[in-house]
Amino acid sequence: MVLADLGRKITTALRSLSNATVINEEVVQAMLKEICTALLEADVNVKLVGRLRQNVRDAIDFEEMAAGLNKRKIIQSSVFNELCRLIDPGVPAWTATKGKQNVIMFVGLQGSGKTTTCTKLAYHYQHKGWKTCLICADTFRAGAFDQLKQNATKARIPFYGSYTEMDPVVIAMEGVEKFKADNFEIIIVDTSGRHKQEESLFEEMLQVSQAINPDNIIYVMDATIGQACESQARAFKAKVDVASVIVTKLDGHAKGGGALSAVAATESPITFIGTGEHIDDLEPFKTKPFISKLLGMGDIQGLVDK
Amino acid sequence: VFSLFKSITAGRVITAESIGPVMEKMKEHLITKNVAIEIADKLCSSVTGKLDGKTIGTFSGIQSVVKSSVEEALVQILSPKVRIDVLQDALKAKEAGRPFVVTFCGVNGVGKSTNLAKICFWLLENGLRVLIAACDTFRSGAVEQLKTHTCRLSSLHPPEREGGPPRVLLFERGYGKDAASICMEAVNFARQQRYDVVLVDTAGRMQDNEPLMVSLAKLIRVNSPDLVLFVGEALVGNEAVDQLVKFNRALIDFADSSDQNPRSIDGIVLTKFDTIDDKVGAAISMTYTTGQPIVFVGTGQTYQDLRTLNVQAVVAALLK
Ligand SMILES: Nc1nc2c(ncn2[C@@H]2O[C@H](COP(=O)(O)OP(=O)(O)OP(=O)(O)O)[C@@H](O)[C@H]2O)c(=O)[nH]1
Ligand SMILES: Nc1nc2c(ncn2[C@@H]2O[C@H](COP(=O)(O)OP(=O)(O)OP(=O)(O)O)[C@@H](O)[C@H]2O)c(=O)[nH]1
Ligand SMILES: [Mg+2]
Ligand SMILES: [Mg+2]
Repeated sequence: MVLADLGRKITTALRSLSNATVINEEVVQAMLKEICTALLEADVNVKLVGRLRQNVRDAIDFEEMAAGLNKRKIIQSSVFNELCRLIDPGVPAWTATKGKQNVIMFVGLQGSGKTTTCTKLAYHYQHKGWKTCLICADTFRAGAFDQLKQNATKARIPFYGSYTEMDPVVIAMEGVEKFKADNFEIIIVDTSGRHKQEESLFEEMLQVSQAINPDNIIYVMDATIGQACESQARAFKAKVDVASVIVTKLDGHAKGGGALSAVAATESPITFIGTGEHIDDLEPFKTKPFISKLLGMGDIQGLVDK
Repeated sequence: VFSLFKSITAGRVITAESIGPVMEKMKEHLITKNVAIEIADKLCSSVTGKLDGKTIGTFSGIQSVVKSSVEEALVQILSPKVRIDVLQDALKAKEAGRPFVVTFCGVNGVGKSTNLAKICFWLLENGLRVLIAACDTFRSGAVEQLKTHTCRLSSLHPPEREGGPPRVLLFERGYGKDAASICMEAVNFARQQRYDVVLVDTAGRMQDNEPLMVSLAKLIRVNSPDLVLFVGEALVGNEAVDQLVKFNRALIDFADSSDQNPRSIDGIVLTKFDTIDDKVGAAISMTYTTGQPIVFVGTGQTYQDLRTLNVQAVVAALLK
């Protein structure tokens, strides 16, 4: 299971609490150290890890904790709450409306998996009976249109793009107009890879977004990304209205902790995860069930927010 | 980082305990710079080991001693033990009348094909004739991507005279075919047509995907290229270590059992260096892991965006 390794390590750390005979400062520090190392190894942002550590420490006051209170429960639930805060942006995931023309725009860093995931998502909707199409608004990357075209053709999904038009704004607009006129319900727009350091690329993304006014902007991120994740994700969110995150390449060895940083930075939930290069390697992702599964303990769930 | 420890000062023998807190801070600092946690750990322990028992002079503070020791260690990790001079080696092969073969490998989407094209541009600028072998027969658009690059590169370097032999050419057999045999055909073609260099593009693959790793090892085993370059992106976090270790191991494990000296990765291409600000730690994670040099650094999406590693600048960014 995805992010499972991370979950296992955290669960083990929490269990050390149950095994300890006395619960004192030392035991808690050791547990926190274990949890924080697991998070850092999974590429969660250093600042977020620091915040988690601090918040848990602040929540526990050994002096005040009366002998009668269950220290274990208090500590575990405070760790659990902090983990929830990391992965749950607190907003519901965007959902497509049947019978309406839902425009979905993909954005993200170079090579993160946008084009591949576009087809996967189109295929996902098509499979469920939605009238679905794809638009290639990447005029920059060599072979980008061929890539999308070959993917779409294989999956029998209508597509739009151009070998001659160089302006992605024009293509995006024309494509969306055309497919809206044909009553497509799911209109997915692929864009070029970009990064915050190149302002002109970010400006272009904004223009495409303004031209087609998407209902959902998906930030696609690669599960292997390290500490640069947070600032990139934050910059994308600052430029356009990112509403969802898709984490790709989770079929590899990566623990995908960077995704947690992206969730925090974009204030958007993870909606799907990519688990391979094939068209059906896409799994829906639901935050709440994931957290309880992550920690593998239904009994802890009851402790949240108490 | 160091300002916190102004209070600890000179004139005594360093012990592992006395520098413990400083090293702990240092480790955390390196992790913020995207050095893999395991590598930051090892690096700091080894510096601690080196400093343990040393006396520091009255005028040097502990923090500056630690800093310069870490700096020294970082420079050492990044300084190549073997120098790879692609141009010189290619020219040597040319003199010997055979093409110089370079294979690019790595996980998905890191920039193999794009940086192959940049390196091709650089070789063309240096007067060599290049054949690009399209051995990614899996990913949609992979062949057309190289076709587009070959076209552009060719128009930047048109054949000397009308009807003259092309300076750069794409060797492709479409999709779905066996990459190792296409590579072999390409090398034979290059030999006949007197191309100086063959740049072999391969499909991206996850390091744990055994069938794909076996097929990469086969491509390298049967074609024994002159240079195997691992392409990794500067964005990568803790995975950097695992990727390199496993690519290396696959080449060794899946080599011919009779081969006494199986191939491994010769060098690293570090891409997307323009996307990470000062979080340059991947350079350390990758070189520490294999000891192999970073041969090229990719700093953007145009043909000019190719550099060699500036060790001093990277170390400065790491310690800033
Ligand atoms: N193993 C694996 N590979 C993936 C996954 N998603 C995408 N890829 C691969 O990652 C590479 C890059 O994917 P693309 O879809 O081209 O990425 P992109 O974001 O469109 O790239 P640019 O348009 O250049 O920015 C390709 O080799 C894909 O096959 C995944 O979930 N698992
Ligand atoms: N900013 C930046 N982008 C880069 C760099 N190198 C490559 N890219 C971009 O990264 C994306 C992926 O590059 P590719 O060359 O297709 O990557 P690949 O490793 O061949 O991908 P697969 O064959 O699908 O595994 C493209 O959008 C490139 O333009 C670089 O140094 N800097
Ligand atoms: Mg793309
Ligand atoms: Mg490629």
